[in-house]
Amino acid sequence: MSAADATATRPVLEIRDLAVHFGGVKAVDRLSMRLDEGRIYGIIGPNGSGKSTLLGAVTRLTPLTSGEILFDGEPFHTVHASQIAAKRIARTFQTVRLLPDVSVRDNIQLGADAARGDVDERRGWWARNFGTHTSPAVASAIARTRLGGFEDYRPAEMSYGTQRRVEIARALALDPRLLLLDEPTAGMNQRERGEISTLLKELRDEGLTQLLVEHDVQMMVDTCDYVFAMNLGTVIAQGRPEDVVRDPQVQEAYLGKKFRHA
Amino acid sequence: MSDFYAANLVLIQSTFIGILLALSVQVPMRAGVFSFAGAGSYGIGAYVSAILVLKTGMPSLLAILISGIVAMVVGLLLGLLVAHLGGLYLAMATVSFDLIVSVLAINGGDLTGGVTGLFGVLSDVTIFHLIGLALLGIVGVALTERGRVGRRVDAVRDDPELAQSVGISVRRYRLAAFVVSGLLGSVAGSLNSLVRSTISPSDIGFSLIVLALTMIIVGGAQSWKGAVLGAVIFTWLPPLLAGFGQLQHVVYGVIVATAAIFVPGGLYGIYSEARYRRTRAKRKTPQGEAPAHEQALAISVPNGDAGRSA
Repeated sequence: MSAADATATRPVLEIRDLAVHFGGVKAVDRLSMRLDEGRIYGIIGPNGSGKSTLLGAVTRLTPLTSGEILFDGEPFHTVHASQIAAKRIARTFQTVRLLPDVSVRDNIQLGADAARGDVDERRGWWARNFGTHTSPAVASAIARTRLGGFEDYRPAEMSYGTQRRVEIARALALDPRLLLLDEPTAGMNQRERGEISTLLKELRDEGLTQLLVEHDVQMMVDTCDYVFAMNLGTVIAQGRPEDVVRDPQVQEAYLGKKFRHA
Repeated sequence: MSDFYAANLVLIQSTFIGILLALSVQVPMRAGVFSFAGAGSYGIGAYVSAILVLKTGMPSLLAILISGIVAMVVGLLLGLLVAHLGGLYLAMATVSFDLIVSVLAINGGDLTGGVTGLFGVLSDVTIFHLIGLALLGIVGVALTERGRVGRRVDAVRDDPELAQSVGISVRRYRLAAFVVSGLLGSVAGSLNSLVRSTISPSDIGFSLIVLALTMIIVGGAQSWKGAVLGAVIFTWLPPLLAGFGQLQHVVYGVIVATAAIFVPGGLYGIYSEARYRRTRAKRKTPQGEAPAHEQALAISVPNGDAGRSA
């Protein structure tokens, strides 16, 4: 589990000169980023700064105008959106997206269904596709996100914060190498935020690379190893979270005077 | 029993044909594909089988098989053609497809018999063929509602973007829905021609689309059980309503409208919702905590280590 040290300089995801334009709008422009293995990266920026467009481009839902994305050193921008799970990239969404009519267990199993190397691979084609078993990865994702006891619940029965944890559990059940989290603690209370922060750091220590988009600056400072500040579609500052949030340019673009008082 | 069987043979046959027809619309609906192409596939199956048996004297089952393959290929091509359509536009496109099949049947000259259709399609299809093929269809569709495949179909319907993020090729599932629908519809149509020994354009017109849709709306689109329920009800309801005389169409209409407005999930929806409520009421809340939605804040940390945050 000390993979983080051995490969600390190996980029998992590399974005070179990325541009995503919608007509005349340059949602993302000349953006470069490099994510090394086993670290937590954060993206901060005001609304409309291009954070979500960037995640859209990385998850292949938004077509690139120009530039390159490399995953594990291989060109990634030609990969179809439905193939990123096979590359072990998992994501959560800005608004909770769970299947409403199935249990928490089945929602999380949906992530495990995509995982390769799951014990299911050894079962026959028939059992894998039509069997009603639950993968071991689901049990471990439930334990990690402290969802024990909620297995048979449906999403609508749970609080928003708990639903968010189900999303994270689904992403973990996929056994990801890169985890993209779009505002994972929105709608959570302070204690839950602390728990999620702790969980993400545990996962980091096990070697999981994470990219976090989040509005809660305190959460970012507590959780991330490295932060990119975005404005107008490009990176305006990057580095240790404490330094980035103190960067005058960042304060002007995003944090305003409020942070200085905080 | 045999008296009942003899007296109601036509309805019993129609029930099994209706089940396959209903499944051909339920399968795409469940995958979130608003396609009524099953009715057009029914027409393809009905005519191709009738022509094959009539003109070549081909064995019935072989004719059903070939018609099925033809309808699957047509379903695939249609699926590719309308791949980028959704919702109402997709529904309209597939209704157009059904009507095109009707128009082809009317204008097919000697091959399709024009407006009068084809007669004397003699075959050896028995009630056992009907039961067997309907069961095969039910089992096949029921399988797609189980396990991994079932979950993935749910995801494709409820949230295609989420589905893609967990490695599901939404496009492939949607195309598969067209192909499976084509096969089921075609078998239903083939059986109809072969059992009745006749087929005409009026059998595959707009009323067929309405019938299939009615079965699904009242029975429920979420499961094969809804399709079976709907098929049984709407095969047996019209003769039962005959007692209403001139009012029977009004009563029929009221039943359908009531179901559409007040029972959006269909009869099967009512059943599954009730079952869910029952298990929900029975189960214990996790770790002795109140259900999450009843707690305002600070939910569900089973071992309650509040000191960890901050």
